[in-house]
Amino acid sequence: MNLRRQLLLVSLLTLVLPWAGCQFIRETESALREGQQQMLSGTALAIADSLSQFPDEFSIQPTTDTSGQLYGHPLASEPLIDGYFDDWSLPQESLRSMRGVDGPVEFAIGLRGQHAYLYVDVRDDKLVYAGPGANVVAADIYSDRVMLISGNESQITSVFDFVAEAPGSLVAINRTGDQRFVEPRISAHWEDTASGYRLEARVPQHLLDSHLGVVASNTGDKDDPGIRSSSFSGRVPGRLAMTSPLLQSVIGPYAQPGLRLIITDRAGWRLAQAGDASRSSSDTQSNEMSSRWMLMAYSMLLEPGKESLLAEPHPSGREQQTYVARALNGERESSWFRSSSDGRAVVAVAQPIWSGTVQTGVVILQQGTDAILSLTNQALTRLMNFTLIATLAAAAVLLGYSSWLSLRIRRLSGAAENALDQDKVQVELPSALANDEIGDLSRSFANVLRQLGEYNQYLRSLAARLSHEMRTPLTIVTSSLENLEHEALTDEAAKYTARAKDGAVRLQKILNAMSEASKVEELMEHAESERFNLHDALTSTVAAYGDAYRDRYFSFDSNSANIEIEGAPELVIQMLDKLAENAVEFSEPDDSISIRLSLIAADAVITVSNPGPPLPDRMRTQLFDSLVSVRDTNRDKHLGLGLFIARLIAEGHQGSISADNIDGGVVFEVRLPVARPRQS
Amino acid sequence: MAMSKRIAIVEDEAAIRENYAAAFRREGYSVDLYDARKPAMDAFDVRLPDLVVIDVNLKDDVEGGFDLCRDLRSRASELPIIFLTARDSEFDAVSGLRLGADDYLTKDISLPHLMARVAALFRRLDAMQKPQGEENRITRGDLELDIERMTVRWQDNAVGLTLTEFWMVHALARYPGHVKNRQQLMDAAQAVLDDNTITSHVKRIRRKFVAIDPDFAAIETVYGMGYRWLSD
Repeated sequence: MNLRRQLLLVSLLTLVLPWAGCQFIRETESALREGQQQMLSGTALAIADSLSQFPDEFSIQPTTDTSGQLYGHPLASEPLIDGYFDDWSLPQESLRSMRGVDGPVEFAIGLRGQHAYLYVDVRDDKLVYAGPGANVVAADIYSDRVMLISGNESQITSVFDFVAEAPGSLVAINRTGDQRFVEPRISAHWEDTASGYRLEARVPQHLLDSHLGVVASNTGDKDDPGIRSSSFSGRVPGRLAMTSPLLQSVIGPYAQPGLRLIITDRAGWRLAQAGDASRSSSDTQSNEMSSRWMLMAYSMLLEPGKESLLAEPHPSGREQQTYVARALNGERESSWFRSSSDGRAVVAVAQPIWSGTVQTGVVILQQGTDAILSLTNQALTRLMNFTLIATLAAAAVLLGYSSWLSLRIRRLSGAAENALDQDKVQVELPSALANDEIGDLSRSFANVLRQLGEYNQYLRSLAARLSHEMRTPLTIVTSSLENLEHEALTDEAAKYTARAKDGAVRLQKILNAMSEASKVEELMEHAESERFNLHDALTSTVAAYGDAYRDRYFSFDSNSANIEIEGAPELVIQMLDKLAENAVEFSEPDDSISIRLSLIAADAVITVSNPGPPLPDRMRTQLFDSLVSVRDTNRDKHLGLGLFIARLIAEGHQGSISADNIDGGVVFEVRLPVARPRQS
Repeated sequence: MAMSKRIAIVEDEAAIRENYAAAFRREGYSVDLYDARKPAMDAFDVRLPDLVVIDVNLKDDVEGGFDLCRDLRSRASELPIIFLTARDSEFDAVSGLRLGADDYLTKDISLPHLMARVAALFRRLDAMQKPQGEENRITRGDLELDIERMTVRWQDNAVGLTLTEFWMVHALARYPGHVKNRQQLMDAAQAVLDDNTITSHVKRIRRKFVAIDPDFAAIETVYGMGYRWLSD
């Protein structure tokens, strides 16, 4: 991982900032919420106190069986008696359900003005009508029917039978006591459906007692007395729970925008309701503007609560949320909800209402947290903006900084490598004057390079210096030996003298080879550059190699006969001599050594390839250094200077030299820039 | 034999000095030995030798030989001076010859070769004093070689060549058109020279001819083989 990525990764740490901010906002929000909750609790307590003076409005009779209780939904408008539920202005969920023979029986009771309304939806696979002209008043009539049963705590007082001769309007039969008669004050409508039938009826309230039940009877055929599905299981139906106009009027004044009040009896039936928690005075339009990602941010950052839809008044008319259930048991309880769609929170408090020592009901207060929302909204928006800018700025600065750092380091390493490649002793490295660690690094690099350069220089001059220093003692040896030849020597002595002389001659050759490099350098300095045809020079030279090395086959080919370069021909030839010598030494007798000249781009490329052992990898770069030999056999007068001289000459001509292994052999390549086209 | 020639050797290395002296004496020369510039100059003030062999490096005096040569040349323009030194760089050779030395030899040279050089120098000196003879001349177009005096003329102008250079030109011009390789040139010059030294010699020879005749192109390089003299 490079420095830039590392620092960029580090810059991600600045994301801790928004995280911390969000934590803070969360804390703030929950603190605000708690405050609101407490305030609501106070209000709830006050309302509960004021409601304790109306114990009669709460049905405080101990009703053991609350399951049989029905709720009379207050209706906003008067529905048409047509068998359709659409105009009841109630959600579908308001329908109660009970088990029927062929599926659930759904029903609801509504209250409006002086009338009670009944809606029943029965699943019935086989409809049985009383039939046209039948005496629906007769007791022994068999048909599918719906019964509305009314009574008080102790007994059933009246039963209304809805029997259809055919779909459409029908009359209800009043069975109060032993009497059976058509009740004209009740209007009803029977509607067939794909799965059964629907019944809608309007009953004047004064016909009904305090307790109300619904029964659907499903008859298979004439002899079947019918199977009853009943809304109650006891002897008498449950008490009809309904809103109390008195309580409604009492709590009316408390309702404020964003605040909802609900009063329930001890069973949780809603007796009064005012206000709406979801509506608020503050216009929600501006919140719409603050885009979708804010909502996403909310749902991700803010403490999630229970879905706020749960806080809505229960459509069945009976409040069943946990916090309400606990308040019904006599404890004050609070809870809060959050809408997943807009992030708005709803704080709710349920306060038991006591009349003396008897709990009459529960007051529920719900308040939408629009205030908190907008507060946190603003804070969050600002936080988001600031931290986003801060994070981006930090990342950008860090990126820039790291780019600059890595640029400096890369420049330094590039320069160092370059200097190393070109064997420069004195080199100006970047950042050398910088006061930081990179400056230190640069200076120590320069130091190392300088020392390396000195060492290389020393090594390079070592051969020349050695040869120079050894030449004088060698002269003493040779001149002494030559003088000795003129003395009278025994045969034995003459033999030894001859051997000593042989040795001296060899030594002299070695010394000459050692000083050759420095001579080439010197020649290069003073050489007059001339323009010559490389192709012609090589042709004649390679021809001469055939004579010089009779046990090798030399071949020469070229892709252009007209390659001219600027330089010293003798030196270029000498370079080729060294390469040829090297090729000969590495190959076996009768091997073919091929020399090629080609024009590639603006370079004249000379390659000398020979079969033989491959070059060891580790020596590849040092191959052309002074006193380096890759040879494992110790052959005569080999000092590893030949390729060094070749390199000196190639580089002296602004060219380069390289070596590579090829299939079964080695190839040396020299690149020399060709002379610019002659101006005609 | 006439009075033996006097050779002065200025060389700080005693063993070499004595070895050279022994060789010269064996050839019948009388030899004076000096190990530094000062005693040599003092002695030369009294009497000049017939030939001087000087090492460039003298005791504590890195270029003492050059100074000595300059002094001597100013005093005796005809005196043969040979540099015999371990310094084999091109630059030193050029400096030495520019100071008026007749030859610049490295210590690689064998004693017999050295003897031959010295004898040749004396022979040339003698020949200079004799009238010019026709029989020892080689003429190749504009080139005129006097083998006796070891002098060269090009287009009737004297070309100042050292002995080594003279023998190289001689080897090339004797058989025009024939390629002489480096070894052959080295043998002709009676010296042990490496390739680069031969290259520099040839260059120097060319330059001397070109100084007289800018169109000089008689010495041709045959790449990879050697050189040859082109006659018109």
